[in-house]
Amino acid sequence: MKPAPFEYHAPRTVEAALDLLESEGPDARVIAGGQSLVPMLALRLARPEALIDLNRIPELSGIRKEGSTIHIGAMTRQAHALASSLVFEQLPLLHYGLEHVGHPPTRARGTIGGSLSHADPAAETPAVMLAYQARMVLRSKQGERVIPAEEFTFGTFETALEEGEILTEIRVDARPEEGTSLVELSRRRGDFAMASAAARMSLAEDGTCASAHLIIGAVAPVPLRFDAVTDALKGRTITESLVREAVELMDLDQFEFDNVDISLAYRRKIGPVLAERALLQAFNRAEGLRK
Amino acid sequence: MTIGARIPRVEDERFLRGEGRYVADIAMPFMVEAYVLRSPYPHAHIRSIDASEALALDGVEAVITASDLPDDLPPIPCRIPTHGDLGPYLQYPLARDRVRYVGEPIALIIAKSRAVCEDAAELVEIDFDPLPPVVDPEAAIKPDAALVHEAGNLAGRWGFDLGAVDDALKNATYVVSEKFSIQRHTAMPLETRGLIASYDVGRNLLDIHGPTKVVHTNRNVLAAMLGMGEAEIRMVEPDVGGSFGARGEFYPEDYLIPFAAIRLRKPVRWIEDRIEHFAAINHSRESAFEVTACADAEGMITAFDVRLVTDMGAFIRTHGDVVPSHAAASFPGPYRVRNYRIDAMTVMTNKTPTGTYRAPGMFEANFARERALDRLAAKIGIDPAELRRRNLIPADMMPWHVGTESVKRPTIFDSGNFPHVFERALEAYGWDAPIEREADGWLRGRGICALVEPSGLGPFEGVRIEVDQHGYATIFSGSSNQGQGHETVLAQIASSILGLPVEKIRVRHGDTGIITFGGGTYASRTAVLGGNAVHSAAVGIRDKALKTASAKFDIPLEELSLREGEIWHGGKNEPVISLGGIARMLMPGNPEFLKPPSDMNMPDNDGLVVTSYIRGVPGGTSAFAVHMADVLVDPRTGDTRVENYFVACDIGRQLNPLIVEGQLIGGVAQGIGGTFLEELTYSEDGQLTTGTFADYMMPNVYNMPPVGTLVLEETKAPGNVLGVKGVGEIGPSGVPAAIGNAIADALKATSGLNILPLTPERVLAAASTVERP
Repeated sequence: MKPAPFEYHAPRTVEAALDLLESEGPDARVIAGGQSLVPMLALRLARPEALIDLNRIPELSGIRKEGSTIHIGAMTRQAHALASSLVFEQLPLLHYGLEHVGHPPTRARGTIGGSLSHADPAAETPAVMLAYQARMVLRSKQGERVIPAEEFTFGTFETALEEGEILTEIRVDARPEEGTSLVELSRRRGDFAMASAAARMSLAEDGTCASAHLIIGAVAPVPLRFDAVTDALKGRTITESLVREAVELMDLDQFEFDNVDISLAYRRKIGPVLAERALLQAFNRAEGLRK
Repeated sequence: MTIGARIPRVEDERFLRGEGRYVADIAMPFMVEAYVLRSPYPHAHIRSIDASEALALDGVEAVITASDLPDDLPPIPCRIPTHGDLGPYLQYPLARDRVRYVGEPIALIIAKSRAVCEDAAELVEIDFDPLPPVVDPEAAIKPDAALVHEAGNLAGRWGFDLGAVDDALKNATYVVSEKFSIQRHTAMPLETRGLIASYDVGRNLLDIHGPTKVVHTNRNVLAAMLGMGEAEIRMVEPDVGGSFGARGEFYPEDYLIPFAAIRLRKPVRWIEDRIEHFAAINHSRESAFEVTACADAEGMITAFDVRLVTDMGAFIRTHGDVVPSHAAASFPGPYRVRNYRIDAMTVMTNKTPTGTYRAPGMFEANFARERALDRLAAKIGIDPAELRRRNLIPADMMPWHVGTESVKRPTIFDSGNFPHVFERALEAYGWDAPIEREADGWLRGRGICALVEPSGLGPFEGVRIEVDQHGYATIFSGSSNQGQGHETVLAQIASSILGLPVEKIRVRHGDTGIITFGGGTYASRTAVLGGNAVHSAAVGIRDKALKTASAKFDIPLEELSLREGEIWHGGKNEPVISLGGIARMLMPGNPEFLKPPSDMNMPDNDGLVVTSYIRGVPGGTSAFAVHMADVLVDPRTGDTRVENYFVACDIGRQLNPLIVEGQLIGGVAQGIGGTFLEELTYSEDGQLTTGTFADYMMPNVYNMPPVGTLVLEETKAPGNVLGVKGVGEIGPSGVPAAIGNAIADALKATSGLNILPLTPERVLAAASTVERP
């Protein structure tokens, strides 16, 4: 469990990191919190020639609000975001999602951008960002581009990041008025989910559902959006039976993962249950906000 | 009286302060590091090994393969009797021309650092010729199966046939037949294995730090394999971060690391990493039971008819077939059942070899029997506790001879009032108290398991107690300590006899250099055997001290006693001399006792020192225990939450209630891991697919319910002076049965929940067999 030899660089600015990424070529990798990459290095499953460590670049960390947009630096620690009152008030779904990410020691190192760039299908952060329709800021020597979350995550461990490019920031519209929920089932708390459901809901003046989003994670290479379910809720008064009917509209054919210990059939059974629970909790929280 | 006192462990302070000294904390000048190159194939011929590139790498000292080992090197022997001859299945330290499991050692690489070793390992070229792997034990015993060994995949088939099982089945009113399987999993000590060997070539002395559990046995095995005298090898146990039966057996590395130290004439250290641990440590528990249990119209169990298939892995290791042997010998459990038949098969497969893991065989057998009994109770239409109540072995039938044997010793439940303890347990838990069957859509159930846990097995244990002139007593023990608290408990026993505070009693253990013979630590035996050896030696010290004082000060012996490190004259109520003073008088240098010429020597001039060896009772001593649990089940997802757990047991006498409770609670945690989470899985092509803690899930704090305990001291063990029974394995032994029964009760499931681990998917499958409104 010792990594193969590699060069190590610890640049102090994004510019310097991008220079290194260019000069070291395709066999270099950036390292963020290291919660996935370090074990892969130790197992020699990843063997980069060089590691470019982003941990000493202050400009990549921090959460701030500009207008109605929340800017999250890619190197912001998960623990920091979880403890952030700005996140809790403006992006509550991120807060609830992060509660399920690992454990306090892993969240103390793990970063928001690292998790997104790693793109584990069972990770909560990509599902949350998809639910929020966040924008990803990608930088390279050629400049900066901003792409929506649904175009960022491609597949299992696959993202839109191109050679020489680093995810530097995530931009999300503040959503203080919504009820949100992230419900998941894992074999053991803190582990990757067997299935997860992320839900957002806002209510109209009359208490009916004004808008809703439902994302199911951990069942396919990328988190899945189920607009058919949420469309059936819009304009309606939310009840348990309505939600139960709506989740029956989930297209379970989109579920793909089938493992020896967690079968596809099982995921298809629990997916709608978790969706129902997430939507109902989001609704209850939205009601709570109405006072 | 310090026996029975609830005192914190004396070891805790150093562990909590980070001052424990583990094998990886030990380093020596000129030390080099070793790495074991292991087979990536489950089954293959080795055509050739070319290590030239690896040897050329800077920092590499040696690459040792089978061809470097002596031609007449014997395989690693089995240390206990087996059913039949398992000789053809023993393992050599390095694979010779064929590998039989993923992780089998092929070469030992030695370099200046572990990292260089791992770089070098990638440069060793091995030409493998893959063979078909044998993964499933049922398939392995089919006639056309590929052979793991030429001697055949069925290593052993044996059993017992007691009473008249067929008649009982024919005449039974109620019969259930169920299949159960227990998954492969094993001990995951927080500290992995490790060894550091150094060789003094001039004096032909070999020192090894890192062994544990059975150091004397291992020293003797190594001496035979290396052709050295036993006293030329010293094995020393450092602090050890857990064993649970797995760490401390003699593994290939236990030969290879000393061999390398002799070969290189440099200290060689090997620290197992977690990846290695998963593939290299003895696996355990993988077994399948087919159980037919039957009862008459009154609900009396009339017979058990069992088929047991145990996956032994690729080789037979030091434990032989003791796991299925214990399971078969004790299967009938605490019940008065005289018709018992078992057909046991031990099967070789291309998987990591197996050995014991806390409650070996019992965890498995208890699960199969107690789940089957719940089915039987349901069929009869009585409460599960009522079925057990009717069938427990009555106190007046003790000692109960099961009629079976394991490791060539008869299975005897030496003592106990099972019915009384059972009622106390039910009462303490509130078994009959009504429960809310539903909470927030989750269903609640209650389950029970009754069991007998053997302990105190194995031939002997010994200690030597020495008291020095400053009044400190040291216990040199033949047993080992991997976290059980022996340093505290053994001191408590000596303290009670010697009247010395525990702080003035040191316990040393796990070192072949400090005592000539040692049994070791397994089968919950240290309290029973080591504890009684301490008791006997301490009594010897007391008698010797008092006699010496009586002679010296001319005070009648009966007027003297030991109190707080002094010898007291009862009549005058004053101290006469300190214990240290007596020890000084008894030192060989004391001219008062030891005068030239030699024929003037006094007897007992060898210091205030007593050695005592205790022989074990053949069947050991058995503790009766009852496990109960309340479990919540989500019928829509199969998710579960253990709300409450309870263990009641009668262990004769508690030496330290704090440690007893710790053993029970920790054991339950381990049992919960085995019930819900832990599994070593293999792909169809023989690859171990759970190779890290990301895949192999240990229970954590979120999985732990509150655990209540009721520890009774009702029936002293008749075979030892202290009257103690082992408590170390009661904790895990009944967990999957109690929890499985509770889940079945919650769901009112009449099938399923027979396959461990009880994953949400399996629980949901059981839930969906039940019609619900």
